[in-house]
Amino acid sequence: MAINFKKMVVGRHAYAKAWKERGGGKILGYFETYFPEEIAYAAGVLPVRILAEHEPDLISDKWIYGACYPVKDMANQLLLGRMDYINGLVNTEGCQWMFNAYEVVTNNRPGLFNHYLFLPDYTNSATSKDVLRSELDVFKTKMEDWTGNSITDEALDNAIEIYNKNRVLLRRICELRRAQKPVITGSEYMHVLLADQIADKAEMNVILENYITELENREPGRDTLRLMLIGSETWDSGLEELIESSGGNVVIDELDNGTSYFWNNIYPQKDRLMAISLRYLDRPHNPVKDSNWRRRPEHIFRLAEDYHVDGAIIQKQIYCHLHGTDNYAVWRLFRERNMPFHYLERDMFVPKEETALRIEAFMNMLREGATRLAGWHKKALI
Amino acid sequence: MEHEYWKWPESSAGFDNLGRSGGDTVTVGVDVGTTSTQAAVIGGGALLGYSSIHTGADFKKAAENALNMALAASGVARGDVSAITCTGFGKENIAFASKTIDEIHCHAKGARFMFGTEVRTVVDMGGQTVKAIRLFEWDRVRDFMLNDKCATGQGRNIEVLCNLLHIDITEIGTKSLEAEKDPEPVSTTCLAFANTETFGLFGRPEFKSEKPSEAEIYAGCLFAVAWRIIGVIGRLSPLDAGDIKIDGALAFTGGLAKNPGITRRIERELGITALTGEYDPMLAGAIGAALLP
Repeated sequence: MAINFKKMVVGRHAYAKAWKERGGGKILGYFETYFPEEIAYAAGVLPVRILAEHEPDLISDKWIYGACYPVKDMANQLLLGRMDYINGLVNTEGCQWMFNAYEVVTNNRPGLFNHYLFLPDYTNSATSKDVLRSELDVFKTKMEDWTGNSITDEALDNAIEIYNKNRVLLRRICELRRAQKPVITGSEYMHVLLADQIADKAEMNVILENYITELENREPGRDTLRLMLIGSETWDSGLEELIESSGGNVVIDELDNGTSYFWNNIYPQKDRLMAISLRYLDRPHNPVKDSNWRRRPEHIFRLAEDYHVDGAIIQKQIYCHLHGTDNYAVWRLFRERNMPFHYLERDMFVPKEETALRIEAFMNMLREGATRLAGWHKKALI
Repeated sequence: MEHEYWKWPESSAGFDNLGRSGGDTVTVGVDVGTTSTQAAVIGGGALLGYSSIHTGADFKKAAENALNMALAASGVARGDVSAITCTGFGKENIAFASKTIDEIHCHAKGARFMFGTEVRTVVDMGGQTVKAIRLFEWDRVRDFMLNDKCATGQGRNIEVLCNLLHIDITEIGTKSLEAEKDPEPVSTTCLAFANTETFGLFGRPEFKSEKPSEAEIYAGCLFAVAWRIIGVIGRLSPLDAGDIKIDGALAFTGGLAKNPGITRRIERELGITALTGEYDPMLAGAIGAALLP
């Protein structure tokens, strides 16, 4: 039977409550995808990503003014008690709006376990890996105190193995998008990723293995314009669906909760915390962790080449300062290399009429040959 | 009835089509915008007639009316029309459309027809959106940018301001140019703030002894709109972080293209003079649609 990941995302609160009832473990909500979930998982805790919803901003507006809507709604969801099953909250250094949301919630819910995990923005400096390792050590001790469970090397190895397997499975699904007629659409893929961030990874791995079997037996999809999605995180598939309805398909992304979430694995070493530290410092970075190195535009371009995209959509959540300041670097590289792209600012909701016009015009531009005229040639597809 | 300062005049006209042979294919383009609707009739590569009306709340009715007026002005029977292409925000509602197409491509096509083939950058300044379009040396869209949320509704905002300030929309631009020096823009972020700021100008303490002239108030409002439009144009600028560079000849289309208080300020800031043409710049979308049957 086909697996419905969209339903999984919609039913995530019921899933978390059922998980808790089954095993009696604690649930830890997290904001940033930089959070090293493996350590919490090794303590028997279920890490659950806080996802923004399409709800009127009833509470958080008075606490966080001027932040992007999704982050305000993350706080809104928590303050409204939509995730009343979580026992604790953690934020990893990254997006400052998420940090604000974390602070607002913890100030308003003083009984909630909370931890701020510092992950250096200077990811490549000589001391970064040691700084993060020591922060992970602090977090590990705090997890042990909170849960009463000792985090042994065996528990960490098990968690690392499960999370590595999860990343490999997500990458395998992603690879299927390279095909000329991908068996999976961008919107379906987005739901896989969102579901993955709210589920127990051991359970999710079984689901993903079955899903891969299902995908491998699917008829090829449509031969459409191939697009890349870049920029701020998204918490729904509205944009992908709009693109699909205009005759395109998102075949690759560079989003924090997209490919950047699973792109690299942990290479096991005796010092488990150092292994974790290196993984999170080496992952594809968002703008805040990339200031001194500017590796992000090249990484984006390599993904675009590898997945044979016809053009890219760079979307920014309104008030997302991270991506607002980084866009220029990406535009510059794309223009230098004649890669067609369109930039748009969005809200939690995709403003349908205006966005539909942009997508339609961009697709028409690609259809009439902008890709070819700009010298951006498709290579032979797999 | 109270005078409606915001209301720009509706129009329709037919052109001498003596050079047109009877067998020429006739196509019509209808641009159903958020605030205005235009129809253009093209035959034998020439504009035979057009109409330009207020859209109102009913896209279908506006499109039907604009089509009928343009056909009547052109002296063309509906049965002689081979294709009707619709564009604009209301395009999906129009049952008589034989095809729909996005406004960006229509304005690009229409601008080349109206201003000549040297056009490389088209800036459509409409009721709700600003579209900056860059063309190849030939007839293709190379890149485009639209305003984002905080800069939307600029044309409509000027209509609102005209009503609030009791100045006819056809006059505000010219009068704003009477200001000796442009004051600071009233607000470069939000049009709702811009309205509030405009009225704030009347009560500011620094103006108690010497109130700003009407021309200065209009200039402050229109400079704010021009400022935001320049921001959209700037995003098309190829690679440099410095000055905005316009790649070749520039053409303005849309309702705001008829407002010299906007166009002159953009030209001044960019150091470029836009092309001028013989047709109403509001017709670009409809003409482009008619040329893309």
